[in-house]
Amino acid sequence: MKITKAVITAAGPDQTHLPLQTIVSSTGEAKSMLALLLDDAFSSGIESVAIVIAPGMEDDYSSAVESHLDQVTFIVQSAPDGFAHAVFCANDFVGQERFLLLLGDHIYLNPTGPSCVSQLLGAAERTEGALSAVQPTHESQLPYYGTIGGKRVSGSDAFIEISIALEKPTPTVAEQELIIPGLRSGKYLCYFGMHIITPSIMEQVKMDLSQTEKLPLTLSLNAIAQSERYLAVQIQGHRYNLGEPYGLLRANLGMALAGPDRDEVMTSIIELIGLTK
Amino acid sequence: MLLNLITSQDAAIRDQSLAEVCSHFDARTLLDECDQLDHFRRTSGNLYDRVRALFFLYSIHRFHLPKKLTADQTGAIPFHGHEGLLARRFEEAIDTFLATQKADGPSDAISSSLAAAYHQLAFQTLANQVRKSVRTVRGNQWMFRMGHPQDQPLRIRPELLKTDNNLFPILRERTPVRMDLTHSAWSDIFFLGMDFPEGARVINVSVNLAVHGRDDVPTPPVEAYLRIIDRPVIRLTSIDLQASAEIDSLAEVFDFAKDYLGLLKAAVIASGIVPPGIEGSGQSLADLLEQIAGPGKGFEIVSSVNDIPKGSRLAVSTNLLAALISACMRATGQTASLTGELTEPERRLVLARAVLGEWIGGSGGGWQDSGGVWPGIKMIEGEIAGETDPEYGISRGRLMPKHHVFGEDEIPSSARQALEDSLILVHGGMASNVGPILEMVTEKYLLRASAEWQGRQEALQLIDQILTALKAGDMKTLGALTTENFRGPLQTIIPWATNHFTEMLIQRAQEEFGEDFWGFWMLGGMSGGGMGFIVAPERKEEALHRMKEIMLVTKRELENALPFAMDPVVYDFSLNPHGTFGDLLKKNDALLPPTYYQLAVPQLLRAEPDALSSTDRAELHQFAIASKTQPKFSSSVQNLFHSLIPESQTTDPSGSSLSDLLTEHGFDREQHEQIRKDLQSGRIGLAQNRLSPSTSIEDVEPRDVTNYTQNEPSAELVALGEQALAAGEVAVVTLAAGAGSRWTQGAGVCKALHPFSKFEGRHRTFIETHLAKSRRRGSEAGTTVPHIFTTSYLTHRPTEHFLAHQNHYHYPGPLHLSPGRSVGLRMIPTERDLRFAWEEMPQQTLDEQQQKVRDSLRTALIGWARNTGQAEDYTDNLPLQCLHPVGHFFELPNLLLNGTLRTLLQERPNLSTLMLHNIDTLGADLDPGLLGHHLNSKSGLTFEVITRRLEDRGGGLARVNGHPRLLEGLAMSREEDEFKLSFYNSMTTWIDLNQFLALFELNRQDILQNDQTKIAQAIRKVASRLPTYITLKDVKKRWGHGQEDVFPVTQFEKLWSDLSMLPDIESHFLVVPRLRGQQLKDPAQLDSWLRDGSAEYVNRLCQWD
Repeated sequence: MKITKAVITAAGPDQTHLPLQTIVSSTGEAKSMLALLLDDAFSSGIESVAIVIAPGMEDDYSSAVESHLDQVTFIVQSAPDGFAHAVFCANDFVGQERFLLLLGDHIYLNPTGPSCVSQLLGAAERTEGALSAVQPTHESQLPYYGTIGGKRVSGSDAFIEISIALEKPTPTVAEQELIIPGLRSGKYLCYFGMHIITPSIMEQVKMDLSQTEKLPLTLSLNAIAQSERYLAVQIQGHRYNLGEPYGLLRANLGMALAGPDRDEVMTSIIELIGLTK
Repeated sequence: MLLNLITSQDAAIRDQSLAEVCSHFDARTLLDECDQLDHFRRTSGNLYDRVRALFFLYSIHRFHLPKKLTADQTGAIPFHGHEGLLARRFEEAIDTFLATQKADGPSDAISSSLAAAYHQLAFQTLANQVRKSVRTVRGNQWMFRMGHPQDQPLRIRPELLKTDNNLFPILRERTPVRMDLTHSAWSDIFFLGMDFPEGARVINVSVNLAVHGRDDVPTPPVEAYLRIIDRPVIRLTSIDLQASAEIDSLAEVFDFAKDYLGLLKAAVIASGIVPPGIEGSGQSLADLLEQIAGPGKGFEIVSSVNDIPKGSRLAVSTNLLAALISACMRATGQTASLTGELTEPERRLVLARAVLGEWIGGSGGGWQDSGGVWPGIKMIEGEIAGETDPEYGISRGRLMPKHHVFGEDEIPSSARQALEDSLILVHGGMASNVGPILEMVTEKYLLRASAEWQGRQEALQLIDQILTALKAGDMKTLGALTTENFRGPLQTIIPWATNHFTEMLIQRAQEEFGEDFWGFWMLGGMSGGGMGFIVAPERKEEALHRMKEIMLVTKRELENALPFAMDPVVYDFSLNPHGTFGDLLKKNDALLPPTYYQLAVPQLLRAEPDALSSTDRAELHQFAIASKTQPKFSSSVQNLFHSLIPESQTTDPSGSSLSDLLTEHGFDREQHEQIRKDLQSGRIGLAQNRLSPSTSIEDVEPRDVTNYTQNEPSAELVALGEQALAAGEVAVVTLAAGAGSRWTQGAGVCKALHPFSKFEGRHRTFIETHLAKSRRRGSEAGTTVPHIFTTSYLTHRPTEHFLAHQNHYHYPGPLHLSPGRSVGLRMIPTERDLRFAWEEMPQQTLDEQQQKVRDSLRTALIGWARNTGQAEDYTDNLPLQCLHPVGHFFELPNLLLNGTLRTLLQERPNLSTLMLHNIDTLGADLDPGLLGHHLNSKSGLTFEVITRRLEDRGGGLARVNGHPRLLEGLAMSREEDEFKLSFYNSMTTWIDLNQFLALFELNRQDILQNDQTKIAQAIRKVASRLPTYITLKDVKKRWGHGQEDVFPVTQFEKLWSDLSMLPDIESHFLVVPRLRGQQLKDPAQLDSWLRDGSAEYVNRLCQWD
């Protein structure tokens, strides 16, 4: 079934201002990061988007979404109660439909093919149930990501049936529980920051939130992996986490090097290298 | 045929005894079998098949083939093969030896070399496999991939970073130790568990401990502490070893032997904080710590085992390693919970890391040793490798065993209480090396010797019975079963599991408690250290006191004969229901053990006040408050003064100071200073011991020796010898003045008094054995034989006292001790000599990790020598350990000087021949045929030599510049010269007394008149004609609770066999059978000695009292 709704979370105390940053897209236009995300979502077939924001940020976000204002709904998370709670704030918006979940502080870029969002949505059309975008990630990055374990779906190498999902696992646990055949040693499939969320996941989140506050979403996703078929798909492309040190710079460079001004940007970089030690 | 024993699927064929099958083969068949086995072990894809073939080959060459070789047994050992062995290039060594065997024919010498090579290759193959498995255990692999600080995925838990009044909280891990009710005949050796998982079964109990009379209540004895510090270093402190270090480089983390902190370093590595993959990367430790804990932050890790003595057989060090690893893993988020008990998967992970840590640290424990991590009583069993295991297809079993913790429904609390009420847990005080025993067990298991294999099956039956008794709380039956286990299967497999001390304790416990003594329980690999005595519960309190007294008295009787590391102790214990357990000490409770501050506070006090950080000040403040308010800190300030101004030990246990002893034993200060001067100037030293390179050293020619290995002396010679014996013309001199360094690794006990082996149901000392041989020869000749034991400053009093206590073993003839008349003072070695010994001389390369540890230790020892003062007097030990005997040349001249020969001549005016031999030449006796040969030859000295085997190192019979003589290994110009020689010196010498005295320009009258000045001058004159050798010896320094360090020290000596170079006394050389001439130098040789017929041979020579 086609997915038409998306939710973008941008209410975390550390990420509130990140989606508002202006960066130059690969086509050379200066845009807010949020606008770029929305461009990607709408051009991939999404029809309406809810953005979960912190209180008092409506005006800033309204101007940042630029031309997409009509298709966007703002949902305020009244207190910083964690990622899972932020997602659950959009429960009424999504109703009983599967929807696309994106992170407001991430930019996704695939310079050589279909966008990351359209890859995930395309995959979602071929499957039912929950689906998460994943990417092979070196074990040194494990402290930053949710990571999955499971087995490849026979006949389709891109899909993995998830048996376990852990938030920021240690390499020891990863080696014991999360090894997936076909990856290079020391690499694991970590979440890419894009998910197709089902109503059953929202039910699980609701149940989990009734027991504990401030949950990472991975906990509920892991519970779903135990109770129903939950798939992951390997996405071609890069994600840029603006929250990391130099995250915005990297995202900018990634965009610029993927666009028509690549040579100019590279020349600038080399000049800069020459001027510094 | 023999291949069948390895490859057959039928257990009845596979479990046949190799010895039994080989006994039917002749030499040719055995050699053919060896060819097939060698081909098989090179081509088989199955690891354990290969290892078994290697052990078969070893056994055939060591035990079976030499007996069947009827031709002339002399043969050369190619030096190139020996070099291969030293460098651990075993395949190359085997090829070299096989090529020699093919070219020259089989020989005893080449078989001994092949046996050594196959044996070492077998153990190397097994060790490699265990290590490979350790690396490939999931959860360990990532640590070998991580090579850069930025790749470090571990992060410190935020709870540990929150300070309170500038103090970081302290994570404390408390871990019990483990005792095993039975290990089913050492089935916890990794190799056994991996090859025979069905037979690997252990009942393992986690216990809290207290030293009875010292501590209040039993607590988990092992403690590890971890906290964050505000310096980018790793600070390690071992409270028990009184050692602390701040490590600021990665290289130092991997330098295990630099200090006493190797175990803590191994934990830091095995827990992944400094993963093994980063070794040698050249990266910065500060960067790595920043990645884990944040900028400018580091760790402090502190260990304590509550002064539990070493050698307790309770796996204290492995459980400490596990506790440290557990704390490090909790701190870095590798466990679900920062505090409390661990989950089962986490315990298994700690076990995997502890195994890894032991490998990294170059030590090794059994797979049950981390049992303290688990709670209560558990069955630990081997597990068959499944398809997903890395071991699958390589070994039958998995590296990691499975643990079943018994619940209350299986072992009720009443049964647990019964165990606590009946068991007296002790440390007998002996600190023995259990390593050789574990090797013996592995070897015997793989060879399936019938008695031993049967013993293993019995042990496996006993474990079920022990478990049944335990579940029923029937301690009387349990005691009977553990005793049966000790007396039956354990000693069938390894007779050396017991010793004279243990046997005396069991006997005395039986005498003391009669029917109420329910049994003996051997803890760990061997007895003498940690042991258990099971008594009726109503007598437990009494037994706690009495067993301590009994052990102490028994130790006093035997302490000069057996290596004790400390006085015995009795433990109080209780079962631990938690296993390893973590808690977080915060605010006012954020304190380390009081003894930690004895180490740390003096350093802070010595620092400039301005240099103290806010954390340092907070630490001092915390300590000051604790000293006033906390009872366990009440004596801290007093103790602090002891730490600031330590006392030193300057007297012996007897109260004698070093200078007293030097005076008493005739120390020659003038000679000593000359030797020091010569050492410092480089005139003498290890390199200068050698003859000039132009010296021709060749093997002797057949005409240089008389060979009695194939033919015995003629009836006429036998009659001549018998006649001399009957006429009272012969006496025996046993050299017993040496310290037996190799026997006790420098522990300074009397080897002569060591009850080394059982004969006819009782442990016998070397002295008793030698007397039994003289008793028999005397009895056969219708007379008694005078027997003299030479002694020294180290051995005289203990030997005299011991013999008196034993009523001289009721020896019927004259029995004299000949005390030494000279002594040397050990010196700190020169760096030049240490480097010569360790870097220029061919060295046995060790296994990879052990080699790293040894290299690091040697670097530290060279530093010690340099800093302490090269060629300075060695005085930092017990005074007796600072002295040294000056070589066995002097032992016979001492007879002249100290009046012993005079007494002998007075008692036996006909005395004309002495047979001199080493204390460890157990086969030497007054053989009438050899005596007859000596008398008939009219030689002044008749030296006995034996055909050389690979292990016979240190010289031999050579033609030196064309003249046959005995040549010491120290004097060989080139290492390879020794390998040209066919014969090894047994040291046994027949001495024509008159000719010997004439060499000294003395006669019998001079001796009878006892002209001391004349005799002393005569000895000095002859001594000056003999070379002085500089040697390095290992000396043990004991400290703390059973801790021992080994230091190299320099000493000098003059050696007996150099008399064969003097032209003015005629020397003659006899080749005698190996069983007569071989020496027992190392306890690790005992098992082969028992198995190859040597013990039986000696027993036949003896007439026991």
